[in-house]
Amino acid sequence: MTLLITDSLVESLARERAFKLLDKDSAYEILGPFDRFESPHLVAQHIVPQYDDGVIIAKGTLNDKPTVVISIEGNFQGGGIGEVSGAKIAGTLEKVLKECKSGQLIYPVIIYDTGGVRLQEANYGLLSIAEIAAAIVELREYVPVVGIIPGKIGSFGGMSLTAGLCSALIMTREGRLGMNGPEVVEQEAGIRELDARNKQLIWKMIGGAVRKNMGLADIVVEDDVPNYKNAVLQIWNGEVELKNRTKQVDQFLSLYKSLELDQKITPEQAVEKFNNVEKTDTVGISSPQDLVNSRGRKWFDAITNGKQSISDIPSVLVADTEIKGKQARVIAVIPNPENKYYRARNGEIGLLEGWTIAKYVRQAIEEDSHKDNKRMIIPVVDVPSQAFGYHEELFGIYLSCSAAVDAYATARISGHPIVAAIVGNAISGAFLSHGMQANRLVALNDAGVNVHVMSKKSAAIITQRTIEELDEAAKDVPSMAYDIESFQKLGALYKLISGVNADEPQLADVEVLVSAINSAYEDLKQDEVPNLSIRLRSDIATASGRVASIKVREKIEQQWR
Amino acid sequence: MQRLNYTFPASKTINRPAHVGVVGSGDLEVLIEPSDNNTANFEIRTGIIGFSETWKKVIERFVSQNDIAANITINDFGATPGVVSIRLAQAVEVSANDTINN
Repeated sequence: MTLLITDSLVESLARERAFKLLDKDSAYEILGPFDRFESPHLVAQHIVPQYDDGVIIAKGTLNDKPTVVISIEGNFQGGGIGEVSGAKIAGTLEKVLKECKSGQLIYPVIIYDTGGVRLQEANYGLLSIAEIAAAIVELREYVPVVGIIPGKIGSFGGMSLTAGLCSALIMTREGRLGMNGPEVVEQEAGIRELDARNKQLIWKMIGGAVRKNMGLADIVVEDDVPNYKNAVLQIWNGEVELKNRTKQVDQFLSLYKSLELDQKITPEQAVEKFNNVEKTDTVGISSPQDLVNSRGRKWFDAITNGKQSISDIPSVLVADTEIKGKQARVIAVIPNPENKYYRARNGEIGLLEGWTIAKYVRQAIEEDSHKDNKRMIIPVVDVPSQAFGYHEELFGIYLSCSAAVDAYATARISGHPIVAAIVGNAISGAFLSHGMQANRLVALNDAGVNVHVMSKKSAAIITQRTIEELDEAAKDVPSMAYDIESFQKLGALYKLISGVNADEPQLADVEVLVSAINSAYEDLKQDEVPNLSIRLRSDIATASGRVASIKVREKIEQQWR
Repeated sequence: MQRLNYTFPASKTINRPAHVGVVGSGDLEVLIEPSDNNTANFEIRTGIIGFSETWKKVIERFVSQNDIAANITINDFGATPGVVSIRLAQAVEVSANDTINN
């Protein structure tokens, strides 16, 4: 007699998921609930925490291979990534990387069930996700990093940007993979852009089955534990070809250049377009009649001394210049009021922009591949957000952001010094894609410089609080505040520059920023490894900004066996 | 968020610590750990304020049925009394048996 009972992962809690995936009795948990390492920031806001902060780390074996499963609990705070949960993921991946580098291969599997950054901890989520992404990019060179998206939440926000970096993705039909949640798109762009209540449409756009058909996910499984295990083994055994999607710049860029958005493209048509990508016509993007003199453009012009952009996308400026005698490539994202991606006309990072950044960063890597002294890369950061739109979600804006992150991280790892100059807004997925992978961050201390993860209005809706309540909470929790001085308290900034005219930079102002970039360059040259660890080693970070992030990593090291 | 504490006399020891549940909508997590004193100590954090009487009744009922010397910690996200009772019973069950991981 056969028992027709399936062992569901979708219906299981995150801890059960992790242990079910690993060989029976092989696994132990790191930083489990009895360690009581909860989020200090939730308690400060009178929100009940969870003792594992919603991330489970289980180490054991899968088919006798040493494996670490990182499982995100979607039921707790929507699977949102805060300081502790984020540090658990990043710290584990960093530890796995260390082991792999010393010759001990450990296979990481990430089970995604997350809405992205936890809005109550905001910028801690942003910092963590940048660290998670950095670790995945490096780790992929040693072992396949497998992502599983079973549902019910799926994967959204900045975490999808890390999912896009995984070597391979396993999904169920119930799982969803997108950047901006449907509710947020509706809030930001209006119900005519996307009706978040139209669940059928949502799953047809971003559900597991369609993501597989588009070639954005590798394996779709029926929700039964043995199926997931088999899928992981298939990837490990090389039965599934690793697509390296984030490196396929030309292919994706030509697809996005070619799309006509006069009418909404249906999910069926989108699948068709993904599958015929090699037949895509070469389409140029014309420059707009009216140039918007944004902060990003002004500082780009100032730093490059008015150099002509070499980019073929008008919303991304790229030029090579010299900074105090050092070769440097400067990249800025600017508004294009005639962008055919109408949700990306104000300087947002959309489908074109992320991939274009990737293109020109990778070009610099390629051109300098034989040089000992690799050119510096300077992202000029003035980005209001990623683009919120129907087509953006349908066509995988998360992957556009992943591609930019991958390019910057790869450049950094291969020895290009990266110094991000934050001259305007540095927000959410846009900042993650353009700036956050830098070895050093310098910022102007100005009211127009903000770092955060979501507009106040959307954040209020998602967390079911009023804007006044959010402002009140931000007073006690600097990671929730939007201003750059609060961001500085987290310890990630190399330098905060005061007394500069951010809106209309004069020669003296430019000199101050360029000097700061230069001293950041000299400073980062002292790093033993070109990673992001300075953000955890700075005086502010160790004293107050990243105390929990550091402690989590120490605990992982202690409990690892 | 409200914090509640209750202590009751108890005599029987428990085998091992146990953890069940999740701090998700209408649910809670329960940690149960052996206690050296002959008491059952409850430490509760709940997101729903103003139900201390209800909590007291639920805990009293649990204690009347389970004489265990243990430290029981609860993080609650709006579970109904029924759900609380079931999770507590589940925690005792897991602690008594060799079931691992929820």
